[in-house]
Amino acid sequence: MNLKDISTSVPKKDHKGKVSGQLAYISDLKVENMVFGVLYRSPIAYGKIKSIQVPDLPLGYEVVGAEDIPGPNYVKIIKEDQPIFANEWVNYIGEPILMLVGKDLDILYGLLEKVKIEWEEYQAIFTLEEAIKQKAAPGVTMANYEFGESLEIISAIEQGAHQIIEEEYDTGYQEHVYLEPQGMLAIYKDDEIVVQGSMQCLYYIKNALITALDCGDDDVRVVQSPTGGGFGGKEEFPSMMACHVAVAAKAVKKSVMLVFDRSEDMVVTTKRHPAKLKYRTALDKEGNILSMCVEVYLDGGANVGLSSVVLQRALLNSAGVYKIPHFHAKGYVLKTHTVPNGAFRGFGAPQSFAGIESHIGHLSKRANIDPLEYKRKYLVKQGDPTITKGNFRDPILMEEMIEDLLNTTDYKKKKVEFQTFNHHNQRYKKGIGTSLFLHGCGFTGSGERDHIKATVKLFKSKDDLVSLKISNSDMGQGIYTTLSKIVAKELDLPYEKVSYPYPDTKEVPDSGPTVASRTTMIVGKLLERAAKKLKAQWQNGVEQEVTENYVHREMIPWNELTFTGDAYPAYSWGVNFVEVEVDTLTGNVKLENVYANYEVGKVIDDRVMKGQIDGGLAQGLAYGYLEKMTSKEGRIQQKSITDYGPPTSMDVVSIQSKVFDNPYADGPYGAKGAGELTLIGGAPAVQAAIEDALQTPFQQIPITPEVIIESLWLREGEEG
Amino acid sequence: MAEKIIAYRFDQVDQTLSQLNKEDCTIIAGGTDVMVLYKSRRGVPPKITKPIVFIDHLNELKQVYKKGKDLHIGACCTYSDLLNDPLIPTPLKNAIKTIAAPAIRNRGTLGGNICNASPAGDTLPLLYVYNAKLVLRSVSGVRIVAISDFIQGVRRVDRKSNEILAEIILPSELEEGAYAVFEKVGNRNADAIAKVGFAGYIRTNGEVIKDIRFAFGAVGPTMVRSVDIEKKLIGKTIPLAGADIAQVLSAFDKIIKPIDDQRSTARYRKTVALNLLRYFLSRKQYQHN
Amino acid sequence: MITFTLNGRKVETDAPPSARLLDVIRDEYLLIGTKEGCGEGECGACSIFVNNLLQNSCLIPIGSIEGAEIVTIEGIMESDQFKILDESYSEAGGVQCGYCIPGMVMASAALLAQNPHPSEAEIREGISGNLCRCTGYNMIVDAINLAAKKGDGLWQKK
Ligand SMILES: Cc1cc2nc3c(=O)[nH]c(=O)nc-3n(C[C@H](O)[C@H](O)[C@H](O)COP(=O)(O)OP(=O)(O)OC[C@H]3O[C@@H](n4cnc5c(N)ncnc54)[C@H](O)[C@@H]3O)c2cc1C
Ligand code: FES
Ligand code: FES
Repeated sequence: MNLKDISTSVPKKDHKGKVSGQLAYISDLKVENMVFGVLYRSPIAYGKIKSIQVPDLPLGYEVVGAEDIPGPNYVKIIKEDQPIFANEWVNYIGEPILMLVGKDLDILYGLLEKVKIEWEEYQAIFTLEEAIKQKAAPGVTMANYEFGESLEIISAIEQGAHQIIEEEYDTGYQEHVYLEPQGMLAIYKDDEIVVQGSMQCLYYIKNALITALDCGDDDVRVVQSPTGGGFGGKEEFPSMMACHVAVAAKAVKKSVMLVFDRSEDMVVTTKRHPAKLKYRTALDKEGNILSMCVEVYLDGGANVGLSSVVLQRALLNSAGVYKIPHFHAKGYVLKTHTVPNGAFRGFGAPQSFAGIESHIGHLSKRANIDPLEYKRKYLVKQGDPTITKGNFRDPILMEEMIEDLLNTTDYKKKKVEFQTFNHHNQRYKKGIGTSLFLHGCGFTGSGERDHIKATVKLFKSKDDLVSLKISNSDMGQGIYTTLSKIVAKELDLPYEKVSYPYPDTKEVPDSGPTVASRTTMIVGKLLERAAKKLKAQWQNGVEQEVTENYVHREMIPWNELTFTGDAYPAYSWGVNFVEVEVDTLTGNVKLENVYANYEVGKVIDDRVMKGQIDGGLAQGLAYGYLEKMTSKEGRIQQKSITDYGPPTSMDVVSIQSKVFDNPYADGPYGAKGAGELTLIGGAPAVQAAIEDALQTPFQQIPITPEVIIESLWLREGEEG
Repeated sequence: MAEKIIAYRFDQVDQTLSQLNKEDCTIIAGGTDVMVLYKSRRGVPPKITKPIVFIDHLNELKQVYKKGKDLHIGACCTYSDLLNDPLIPTPLKNAIKTIAAPAIRNRGTLGGNICNASPAGDTLPLLYVYNAKLVLRSVSGVRIVAISDFIQGVRRVDRKSNEILAEIILPSELEEGAYAVFEKVGNRNADAIAKVGFAGYIRTNGEVIKDIRFAFGAVGPTMVRSVDIEKKLIGKTIPLAGADIAQVLSAFDKIIKPIDDQRSTARYRKTVALNLLRYFLSRKQYQHN
Repeated sequence: MITFTLNGRKVETDAPPSARLLDVIRDEYLLIGTKEGCGEGECGACSIFVNNLLQNSCLIPIGSIEGAEIVTIEGIMESDQFKILDESYSEAGGVQCGYCIPGMVMASAALLAQNPHPSEAEIREGISGNLCRCTGYNMIVDAINLAAKKGDGLWQKK
């Protein structure tokens, strides 16, 4: 492949099948001897099961439950706290208890209604507030970390401070709404179970299956189906579904398909953790920051799942992109009897960035300085330490990126124009807001080296076609294209001669999960190296295979106990400017202009990158003002797409974006991670813009019309 | 297995009516409400227990015409039909444009929106302020009722089981120097269910108010309208005095009783309903449309 | 027994009259291009044409389409219009996970047939019932814009 610049776009590998709809997603499959599974779910939030009564089942219909699990009854993730089928305790409404399988869905739904369970119900914890109050009670704190400046020193600084500002900030749920609901199929064969479905992490699933089925490596096989969006929602959750269908298939000796309805998907699958963030900041007379303490509370839901890792990322980003003197942070994952929360694009960072950007914005008001100017005073620079005593060792282009947007938007002039507009218009108010952010690429700390240990392979056939053997999922983000392109370019082969079949654990080694903005940077780099190796050994007309294993970048070793060291090998960066118009009669917010600059090392494909920007930012903006999900007594209230309200084509505007080059030595062609970064700046920028329009501070996202009207109402009350 | 489902799809309204006279049926026009209301989980037909009568293909129910000064709209006109029809008043078209999205508008009908009687039905506030009348047909003939009498509660209408809604009549007064407007407040710009709907109607002679009407949607079980409050403004001049506006607002403050639900809060709904009313009343002029 | 035309072919089904057209298309005729994303009219993944009008097949009881002409993505796949849309979606980068795309393409075709030179606002309205969670829509809007230009003269129905 002869591209002058790797960033030049090429046609997407999987375009044809997708545009014509002929690519088969999991729900499009029908296999021989297939039955459907439906799950009986707990109707109560917290209690002990006393008895389970299943109605008489017609011929061909069977029940599958905990007793059918060959191995231990948990879904292997990090801790062993998530049952496959709850058979003793239930911890949230919707927790799976048993599965009914059979040919006809109509009959299965009818049977589900006749399942009777006797309970002993207990007092549940429904909200994060309640959990915070009870955080010392046994089992409530599921994970916690603390690090930074010693509290004695901070307390001494606070003694001498001019002012101490305390703020509390809340963030809500976010639902992935991948357009394809979750689905998983276990194909029953005499000698193996093949689990196929919509997923991000093949080996997470395979490992969970080996444990649950108590079987050997060769007895299970995991195959990714085309995946209709993931965004983190298909990171750990599919492991549970995979256990359900695999256990069922084994028990009934048939292939079992489990596909969720949209409302089922919205109610029972993992979501972005609601969070509470507390800030306590000491200021001097001029409003300069002397010290800062941050507390992060994440609502983990009913089990810990990946929440501890999410918390780590939330904490690691708790100071934003700023060098804050005397910084201290601690955080908790707390248990509530609600649907478990989990991975979602950004993985704890969006909550932290929304919080810190909000707080710093509010501090700028105290200092009487334009928020952006105030933020720039604290912006980290190359060589600065991180809050965990790591190092920002690579060049940082944030200043250039900010300057560029100041010019593009004509920021200063716009501020004045908006003030004039707002002065004259009673109903509509305009505002502009900014956000500055970064994203640590790859797994936290030494995760890549110690846990993931990625391996990739390239296989060359006799006719000199090369295929990628990796376990990463394309879920729309475009890695079929970008990773194939890296290999093609490296090998100097036509793009068409490089293929990347849907991964199957029988064929591919574990190159790690498709998460954490690691795929391009880490797996891409391994592929680049593998391609170099293959090129060196290339023999026409001969079958060849090369393997590459992960090599860790030299950095300050990460210590999870003390929370010190380099948390990430590299960082990607971003700046967003957002302009809104707020209708003060209804509180509705209209996006007017959105500008975004990013630095992701090197773009592997311009078009794929733009897709990540536009899609990620739309989700991030909506997280800040549009998408609202709530839980009431353990029940998710918004069960339909419309009630939840992700943006339609009429809610977003075209985004003016630019990506700055800053090649990173340990990424392929200099690339770092890009997938999550694009979401992170949306919410804080939208909040800042709304605050600018209304000249009112907010302490939460989403800033819905309800929140806006309430705050205007309160302000009117105060003004008399 | 499920029992056999019976469905009728006659070529004529008369046959349809005589069937309805024989048994209680579920009428399906576009089905955009019915199919969701009776929805089963994935992969299974909706659970409709009564026999089904399809009516959306009946041309007799799809006519739009003027009779004298009244505008008659066939109940089975889809939203798209109405958007393409020059006889339909602009404010009603604007309201229709806020409904769902093109695919739903190609299917959903005006009659369905009325008979579904959802508090969030987006054509309803305007139809209330237009004093729309409904033509109900049965084997025994025609009955005409005011929309405000027809709709009695959430999904509750005064329709006898042998009747169908055949036409909607918008009476004459809407042309003569009148201004009408609809504002929908939803959570997003398309595909949204109203959290608050407001329709205002005013007819003036010079500066003097000859007629004024308001209706609110999604803030109670039915549209909220009060002829008594409206009457107090007739004869007043534009722009209205602050005290008059305040009086109307406080009168509505007492009768608007919204609820909290998964879409919004009672307090929001009420505040915004009154905001929109205040905005309508505070206007310095009203362009006729 | 209900008779209708599916992608130009006369077909009969004995599915119950309340059955969703979506299920009939997928399960009986094995046409997988029509997807289910919500089952209640809120996502557009199941978009098809009924007598040339864009509709959601998840909301259509099969009993109501007696004699109607139903066209799914498979029914337009060979057309010149589709080729233009295919190319434009590719060039503009409008496809990510792909799950919304067949529905989106149907909505695009419906829009352009009605309005061969849509403005940006008209494009956004035309696809407003089609949820896409991956792209943030802009590259799809670009694709439709591009298709309007590339296929100039092709869209108007004869
Ligand atoms: C995704 C989605 C979005 C929507 N968005 C909106 C929106 O923004 N605003 C809004 O107002 N509505 C909305 N709706 C609701 C619905 O589309 C409208 O209410 C539509 O007008 C219903 O018309 P229909 O013909 O489809 O009704 P149907 O579902 O056919 O019927 C609705 C009810 O009316 C009865 N009925 C219908 N016609 C007659 C008749 N002629 N005589 C007697 N009874 C009759 C039926 O028996 C049924 O009880 C939405 C629906 C969906 C699925
Ligand atoms: S599946 Fe029909 S609109 Fe979503
Ligand atoms: S491309 Fe994934 S939903 Fe549109």
